Amino acid sequence: MDKHTLQTNKPQKPSHHRTIEWLKKNLFSSWFNTILTFVFATTITVIVIGSVKWIFLTANWHVISANFRLLIVGQYPVAELWRVWICLTLVSFLIGLSWGLWKGTMGHLTIAVTSLYVIVACLPFVLMETRIWLLINIVVIVATYAVGKNWPKLKKSTLVGWFLMFPVIIFLLNGFGVFNHVGSNLWGGFLLTLLIAIVAIVCSFPIGLLLALGRRSKLPIVRWFSIGYIELIRGVPLITILFVAQLMLPLFLGNGIDIDNVVRAMVGFTLFTAAYLAENIRGGLQSIPRGQFEAAEALGLNATIKMTFIILPQALRAVIPAMVGSFIGIFKDTSLVAIVGLTDLLGMGKNIISNPEFLGTQMEVFIFVALVFLIFCNLMAYASRRIERSLGVGKR
Amino acid sequence: MLKEFNSDTPLDQREDIVVCNQLNKWFGNLHVLKDVSLNVKQGEVVVILGPSGSGKSTFIRTVNGLEEIQKGDITVDGIPLSNDVADIEAIRKETGMVFQSFNLFPHMTILKNITLAPIWVRKWPKAKAEKIAMELLERVGIPEQAHKYPGQLSGGQQQRVAIARALAMQPKIMLFDEPTSALDPEMIKEVLDVIKTLAGSGITMIVVTHEMNFAREVADRIVLFDFGEIIEIGTPSELFDNPKHERTKLFLSQIL
Repeated sequence: MDKHTLQTNKPQKPSHHRTIEWLKKNLFSSWFNTILTFVFATTITVIVIGSVKWIFLTANWHVISANFRLLIVGQYPVAELWRVWICLTLVSFLIGLSWGLWKGTMGHLTIAVTSLYVIVACLPFVLMETRIWLLINIVVIVATYAVGKNWPKLKKSTLVGWFLMFPVIIFLLNGFGVFNHVGSNLWGGFLLTLLIAIVAIVCSFPIGLLLALGRRSKLPIVRWFSIGYIELIRGVPLITILFVAQLMLPLFLGNGIDIDNVVRAMVGFTLFTAAYLAENIRGGLQSIPRGQFEAAEALGLNATIKMTFIILPQALRAVIPAMVGSFIGIFKDTSLVAIVGLTDLLGMGKNIISNPEFLGTQMEVFIFVALVFLIFCNLMAYASRRIERSLGVGKR
Repeated sequence: MLKEFNSDTPLDQREDIVVCNQLNKWFGNLHVLKDVSLNVKQGEVVVILGPSGSGKSTFIRTVNGLEEIQKGDITVDGIPLSNDVADIEAIRKETGMVFQSFNLFPHMTILKNITLAPIWVRKWPKAKAEKIAMELLERVGIPEQAHKYPGQLSGGQQQRVAIARALAMQPKIMLFDEPTSALDPEMIKEVLDVIKTLAGSGITMIVVTHEMNFAREVADRIVLFDFGEIIEIGTPSELFDNPKHERTKLFLSQIL
């Protein structure tokens, strides 16, 4: 009823009138604002026209289309590429299933991932094979969505599936005797970027959690170890840690054990992220009022239950933005592995530029690399915002 | 652990469930508890009064080990309070505590708040814990709030949930640390009413409060604290109508 009266009391003006009023009020309210408006309008126009011209007329996108496979999967043998596709299909399988089971946030993410598949499939230069695989992936997502929607009991198995996925993917990619061996020196491009980032993020979380708890521990040895570790890692540049992992780890472990280059980088990133994560989580623990600890203790809860059910859920929720910040940081920092001889997305881009055939195409390559990073970082940021909101229930 | 007592037994013939002997505590140089000795009988309701900063809150928090003491012994329900975690947890199982600032867990529904400890500490099946939780919510008069979050409730309702949460562990002793001090005046009554009914149910209670009428009504004995010491102990009528100590008289004259 209120709405109705409001509408009748305020007769609406024709829309072009309102637009002109808005312009007057916001852009041309004084002579100074008018000048500002013109200056900015000119600048923006020049930039936009220049970019559009460059993108559609000057740029030589052939360098991307000719090297698309290299940029995405590196030197991975063409004959074995089906293994990479199987890995992606596994991920799609779990994504679809999680969408059906949890809806909400997963739905938005799934739509984002599916649109990525569609966009890549529609690129004019990709092979027919790629299109077929992407189509299979989309079908898998839809099919598993239906499964997840109808069998809500699958939640636990799906979570286990997500955790089992990492070893399975590493196994598939490497072969380990069952398939033809593909050494990690051949893994590259965006595949490598993703692998290192995901392993670092997943493995650093439990380590960071333990370090954060350790730093607050009453046991002096545990506390001093945690403080020492965190401050040591935080006081050293990531590059140094990567070099240490590449050069020193083999020394520590002796001659008999040969650790893969990629694994060394993964270890380096994990140890580095863990220290930063520990400080983030400690910040969250610090923000929990003393009364929460006391209430839990007064009920007779032991330390483990108190942490698991009372303190950590609140502390972690409080630091989701900071943690995702660390994760996005580490995702971008993976491009540093180029320095220790691995060819991730950026490293591959640099290799391509140095190929005489593609001389002078650095702009195109770097813009493509930046775009890929931009898309994935934004996906992570978006996921974090959604998770924050969905966890905010009942909290004021 | 003490035996169950018969509620027909007169107070002075029952066993002591809380025994505090010569407690001393310092915060740095500040001597906050000075040789405090107090025994509480099974089923007795003891109300602790005193000016702010007199150490009464600190004292009640030593009973379940939330505050450490530097000297003295505490025995609760036959278990001596030591540095051993197992002893402390055993005592806390038998003592419920209600705080001034409620301290509900904001990320859990009311029902989860109440059932958490019974499920994990008493190892009750979920169904049993929820059934008892609902009965308790019924008792404190807010069963319809079971699936809300603490942030959606008023202060008085939150404090009643906190009482239900403490009672869910079926403790032998309830400790109330200024349960109405953080409440708006119109909500104080609803919480005090719940505590009053509880006092008649035979559970042992130690209550720190500033509510004089409430103290007079429910207390078996009243303890007056000042400067970290017990000044006077007596029945409500002894203490209010016939105070012996000068400081008791001063305190009563200031508030009544």
